[in-house]
Amino acid sequence: MPRELGPSLNERQFFLQALKEEVRIDSRGFGDFRAIQLDFGDEYGVSDVRIGKTRVLTNITAEVTTPFPDRPFDGPFTITTSLSAMASPSFSGPPSETEVLLARLLEKTLRRSGALDTESLCLIAGRAVFSIRADVHVLSHDGNLTDAACLGVVAALRHFRRGDSEVKGEDVKVFTMAEREGVALSLLHYPLCVTFSFYEGEVVLVDATLSEEQMREGSCTIGMNKHGEVCQIAKLGGAPVDAVILLSCSNLALRHVERMSKVMEERLLEDAKRRYKGGIKAEPSSENARVP
Amino acid sequence: MPLDTSSYSLALLRLDGRRWNELRRITAQISTMPSADGSSYLEMGNTKVLCTVTGPCEGGGTRDRDRADIRVELAIAGFSGVDRKRVGRGDKRVSEMVSTIQSTFASTLFTNLYPQSTIHISLHVLSQDGSLLAALLNASTLALIDAGIPMRDYITASTAGSTSSYSSNDESADPLLDLNTSEEQELPFLTVATLGGSDQVSVLVMETRVQAGRLEGMLAVGVDGCKQVREILDDVVREHGKEVLKSGRL
Amino acid sequence: MAITILAPAPAAAALPPRDHVRDSNDDDDSDNSDNGGVNLQGDFDKGSRPAKRARHTDIITPGETVTDDSQWMRGHGTYIAPASTEIIATVAGTVQKTNKLLSVRPLRARYTPEIGDLVVGRIVEVQSKRWRVDVGAPVFAGLPLSAINLPGGILRKRTETDELQIRTFFSEGDLLVAEVQSLHQDGSASLHTRSLKFGKLRNGIFMSVSGMGGGGGVVRAKRQVWMIHTAGGGGEVDVILGVNGYIWISKHIEAAGGDTAITRIEEKISSTVYSSQNDEISVETRTEIARIGSVIQLLVQEGVKIEEETISKAYEAAVGVASLNQGEGSGYLGGELGRIVMADVGKSS
Repeated sequence: MPRELGPSLNERQFFLQALKEEVRIDSRGFGDFRAIQLDFGDEYGVSDVRIGKTRVLTNITAEVTTPFPDRPFDGPFTITTSLSAMASPSFSGPPSETEVLLARLLEKTLRRSGALDTESLCLIAGRAVFSIRADVHVLSHDGNLTDAACLGVVAALRHFRRGDSEVKGEDVKVFTMAEREGVALSLLHYPLCVTFSFYEGEVVLVDATLSEEQMREGSCTIGMNKHGEVCQIAKLGGAPVDAVILLSCSNLALRHVERMSKVMEERLLEDAKRRYKGGIKAEPSSENARVP
Repeated sequence: MPLDTSSYSLALLRLDGRRWNELRRITAQISTMPSADGSSYLEMGNTKVLCTVTGPCEGGGTRDRDRADIRVELAIAGFSGVDRKRVGRGDKRVSEMVSTIQSTFASTLFTNLYPQSTIHISLHVLSQDGSLLAALLNASTLALIDAGIPMRDYITASTAGSTSSYSSNDESADPLLDLNTSEEQELPFLTVATLGGSDQVSVLVMETRVQAGRLEGMLAVGVDGCKQVREILDDVVREHGKEVLKSGRL
Repeated sequence: MAITILAPAPAAAALPPRDHVRDSNDDDDSDNSDNGGVNLQGDFDKGSRPAKRARHTDIITPGETVTDDSQWMRGHGTYIAPASTEIIATVAGTVQKTNKLLSVRPLRARYTPEIGDLVVGRIVEVQSKRWRVDVGAPVFAGLPLSAINLPGGILRKRTETDELQIRTFFSEGDLLVAEVQSLHQDGSASLHTRSLKFGKLRNGIFMSVSGMGGGGGVVRAKRQVWMIHTAGGGGEVDVILGVNGYIWISKHIEAAGGDTAITRIEEKISSTVYSSQNDEISVETRTEIARIGSVIQLLVQEGVKIEEETISKAYEAAVGVASLNQGEGSGYLGGELGRIVMADVGKSS
């Protein structure tokens, strides 16, 4: 497995010296995110998140299956991550530590915190439930995969429409999108992640690029929703950081989560408007749709 | 219910008779395995963990070959929980704990003194009753001290939780120290590890939902718990040292 | 919990597990149970420790300040926190002061080679012009081809033929006794066997005990190699204590010919010095070799320093015990007999 070439000693010294002088290499503020771009695909449940040069594509699919025997009322919700060599040469070969940690973080933030109401996916208890699967594909890695992936999954979940279903006694009929309009998933809250990177001299950076990530001494990912509930905190080792600084990070995280939530809302509204063909009130017309 | 409502609201006692800021009984032994370079056995309440350290030995070292590599292996016995459950090697939860322990000690040990070598830490969980990651970090610290590998300070860990459920904004909710399994399953909690009982936090892991306002209380209680754990572990090391000196080995 | 886990007994003899029931009930009630149970006791203990005048029998643990006097230079086992003059210990051990140098000697540590150490090692790798030897240190030691004696005592430059036939000297798995000649930057040792008392080992058994730093290990003493006149017709047995904790016990083979002058040293190095064939060893000798081995095991278990004096005393006691209890298993010193031997050692010392 080819290894990622880290920054040279020169680059490292330059970067650390710049931090001491309160300058970040790409001129952002220490607590600023890069520009976040969120797009949706033509199909329901496909989201494309771009944070700077990092790009993550998420796809949600649903199918009817039998539930696990120990959880007859819950629909299984699985999140799979695939870091292919397209994102970075170090990702070829067996799943790297990065991939395992990313998968764990997404699972903790989204599954354990109960973002998706799994009981609403139940059709017939013990026999038929909807199983939701989120596939996260990292297309380009320029740092901060966690935040991008989390935003991608949450946005895709909100965007997704599953087929409407009818249960008549023991029969389950699932309609396609053409037959009936899809039903949105029931999400209880929208948890988003913010990752902080620590450097010597008590410097904290938000949303590190790949080279900033390679030079950091420690990191902490905080998952929160916009109501101020912390869903998970993950500071998995790394250099020790003062507890007060960690608490201030959680305050900063709330502001970023609120901002990201707003961006998500705006983009979802735009997408809904784009799809809305006017509904029943719209008159059928023989004019061709304008090509933009 | 881990917090039996009647006993807690009346006498502020948890089900096992502790108050909110009391640690469980911590028992530790150092140098339990003469064949290993360093070894320890730690009990935090009913959580029992064995640790052995081998090294530094030849081979490995980080990519730059200027520091020692740290390899951690964790095996959770199938009989450690209430139900018998075989935990496979590739389990993500185990991988995450291994990665955490590796990363913690990579920053604490003076690995630059042993370039091109590897330090192996092997952990075995015999019994789980809450605070697993904390017990693993504490046991590893003791075994590393026994092996004589230089480090900046002890890494001590403990868990802290909150009596409020995540949705209520109850102002009278108390933070709790050192949770057992039944408390961990019901209440929000976090695991925190500090460097030498100071305020420098090395590890902070929380997997449950809690109001942001509670965080400060839980963290403060956790950090204080770590201070107490450091004193206990320090006593164990000193006792052992006195024994060694007394028997004239040194 | 259906299963009860019994704690393992520690290596030292019958040490009862220390219960650290922090009676925080008492402390907290007396202080202020609302402020998070801060244990003021702990702070007092730390402050009362006379850090500047830590005696040599005091244990110091990692993270503890040894002193903040800037007159001291820091040695092994310590570090100085950035932006401060405090010298902080990094290992658990005792403080050692030599002139102006302050270091902490760990209770137990892996062997670190020093120049002049006599070590027993095992060949693990054969490279083109040298061997890599496992001496129980963090990195393997190197034994260059130019640092060994050629058989027959020939003095010449090593050629390519020697490199091609390198395995005829030492091969993987061979044991040897050598001396540390020099140390590299990364702490790895460079060995040499340029003397009659060094070279390949055979006709004996190998044992490993923990290395330097105490804990029942081998000490750097005046005599690391000596001969025991064994009882029971065993003849002469050589004991080699490597400073790295590797020990070799073998039948003593008398070198042919008497003492020769240093100028004729090449005549003493026989052509069979690199042979891997064991000589004929009688049953009595093997018994005595095994007895010495178990004596050393017993000393390690009881935490006694391994050196010539203690081994000799313990060996004599073991012989005495064996002669009293005739029959099968009289050589086994793990249990009752071991205790008797230790008692005898204690009496005679």
